[in-house]
Amino acid sequence: MKLEKDDLVRLFRTMLLARRVDEAMVDGLASGKIPSFWHSGQGNEATAVGGTLFLRKDDWVMGGARGHGVHQYIAKGMDFKGLLAEHCAKSTGCCGGWTGFHAADLTVGVPGGCGTVGSTFPVAVGLGLACKAKGKDNVVVAFFGDGASNRGTLHESFNLAAIWNLPIVWVCENNEYAIFMHVSEHYAGKDIADLAYGYAMPGVVVDGQDAVAVAEAVMTAVERARAGEGPSLVECKTLRLRPHLEGIGYLRGTVPVSEEELQELNRRDPINLLKTSLMDRGILTEEMVASMDKEIREEIEQAEKFVDESPIPDPKVMFASMYAD
Amino acid sequence: MKKITYGQAVNEALDEEMARDEAVYCIGEDISVGLYGVTAGLIEKYGKDRVRDTPIAETAICGSCIGAALAGLRPVADLMFADFMYVAMDEFKNAGLWRFANGGTMSLPIVFRMPMGGYGRMGSDHSRAPLSSIWHLAGIKVVVPSTAADVKGLLKTAIRDNNPVCFFEHKQLYAVEGQVPEGEYTIPFGKADVKKEGKDVTLVATGLMVPWSLEAASALEASKGISVEVIDPRTLEPLDLDTIIASVNKTGRVVLVEEDMLRCGASAEIAVQIMENAFDSLDAPIVRVGAANVPIAGGFAEDFVLPQKKDIPAAIEKVLGA
Repeated sequence: MKLEKDDLVRLFRTMLLARRVDEAMVDGLASGKIPSFWHSGQGNEATAVGGTLFLRKDDWVMGGARGHGVHQYIAKGMDFKGLLAEHCAKSTGCCGGWTGFHAADLTVGVPGGCGTVGSTFPVAVGLGLACKAKGKDNVVVAFFGDGASNRGTLHESFNLAAIWNLPIVWVCENNEYAIFMHVSEHYAGKDIADLAYGYAMPGVVVDGQDAVAVAEAVMTAVERARAGEGPSLVECKTLRLRPHLEGIGYLRGTVPVSEEELQELNRRDPINLLKTSLMDRGILTEEMVASMDKEIREEIEQAEKFVDESPIPDPKVMFASMYAD
Repeated sequence: MKKITYGQAVNEALDEEMARDEAVYCIGEDISVGLYGVTAGLIEKYGKDRVRDTPIAETAICGSCIGAALAGLRPVADLMFADFMYVAMDEFKNAGLWRFANGGTMSLPIVFRMPMGGYGRMGSDHSRAPLSSIWHLAGIKVVVPSTAADVKGLLKTAIRDNNPVCFFEHKQLYAVEGQVPEGEYTIPFGKADVKKEGKDVTLVATGLMVPWSLEAASALEASKGISVEVIDPRTLEPLDLDTIIASVNKTGRVVLVEEDMLRCGASAEIAVQIMENAFDSLDAPIVRVGAANVPIAGGFAEDFVLPQKKDIPAAIEKVLGA
């Protein structure tokens, strides 16, 4: 697909919003407003937003571990207020405020999640099976990290999706780290995209810091899936700007990652890269970015106020939700 | 009424529910044939999209049910051997928690059919009746039918339920015949069936242990005039405690019979609930019958591990202080 000027501005704005929400989560954890934890997704905005923003409302998206899928779900149309409130354990959260960090909204194609990395693979297969069974052309985009690629669930799910020709796009956000373990230690091959060969599906590698390249690669695979041509794998070579978990060191194995290396990662900040590119093309100006950012910061401030004023969950509501009628 | 086998009753329930609702589909390894014959004939009638054979991939079979259910289908997964659920334990856990842990608004209508049970001398991974492992997970209903009529009515209820259900069919019961109502019927969850009324001892059993317990109760009644009330809870989650407690209040003596390992087994949970709710009615300590706390041995050594028929009358006499 070819991205028009409006698409590109929307892409930039959504990435900036995802970044600012992520920063609000980091602050919320530091101030004690978030009682659980936060796995920042800063640095993955091009993959998460670029791979999600141009989907249809009736397509399904499953986020990966980084950012708890928040970046994807904002791009898919979820209100970030509910995502923030859920992390702050308030009853106005998108999942009632008692899930710690989960996100779900079936009306915009977010099916929810669980806390075990790589357990989304088979769930995505079921969603894909339902798309096909209902005879519609909606698709599933399932994100996972290089760490999740180590799970056995990947094999069973890639295999089922391939033999059944399901409309699924597997998007690997390879940020080179599974907690502290570097990809060179946990994966013997060169590209995770190479796995596609074993399942007779296309596997491509894209620059995960280039939001336009990610969007084009994912949407090419999406169109293929919509046309009934089956699953694909898109590997985005990306990075992680912050440590695995807030409050712990950015380590490679037991060794702290050097200042120089972190600076190099920051030079590849996907938001700055897109901003420069769109400014060079005359699509964005500094003034536009400043005004966008101001607007976003105000929205977040209002959301934080709303969350602060929200009550914690009512245990009666929580316990009553155990079973469906 | 008509006489059919427990296996035919499963087949009828699947057939009727697939005909009734297009969202229902079956998924599992080689179910187009079916190791026990209970899914036979469905593929000819409903096609391979709704009777979906899979590779050997329990994790993907069970995990895919979560996604399919969220997207509006009603999967019925066949595990072939209940023991194989351990391959997909994360998926069972996730099926149970998904609704609660994602805000409590969505529904997950999934049935996991779990052919269970020993007495086939098949060893550690084809013989278990792993009820308590599932009962200990939050959010999954647990059904254990013991007769042809129950298995049909309860399976139809399970397929129509909007929550994950683990449906434990006993392999040794598939060929057993029973009277089944003609036409459409369902059996509600959470309603125990008093299979035999009695006044001296309350016996609670599930699965294959129900016909064995009825046999023991009849023999003791004839030989020694002992009157045993045999209760089949039919569903552990939800558990019809009221029926059990009413019986305990009447008899004052309890025997719990299960096929699973005794340690942390279903009978341990039921025993504690009786203690909490009817302690003053108990005239003797509760007696349990179940498997030894070891993996199930294969071959003839299976007899050393699994409860045997003779253990049931012995337990009844023990609780009576005989």
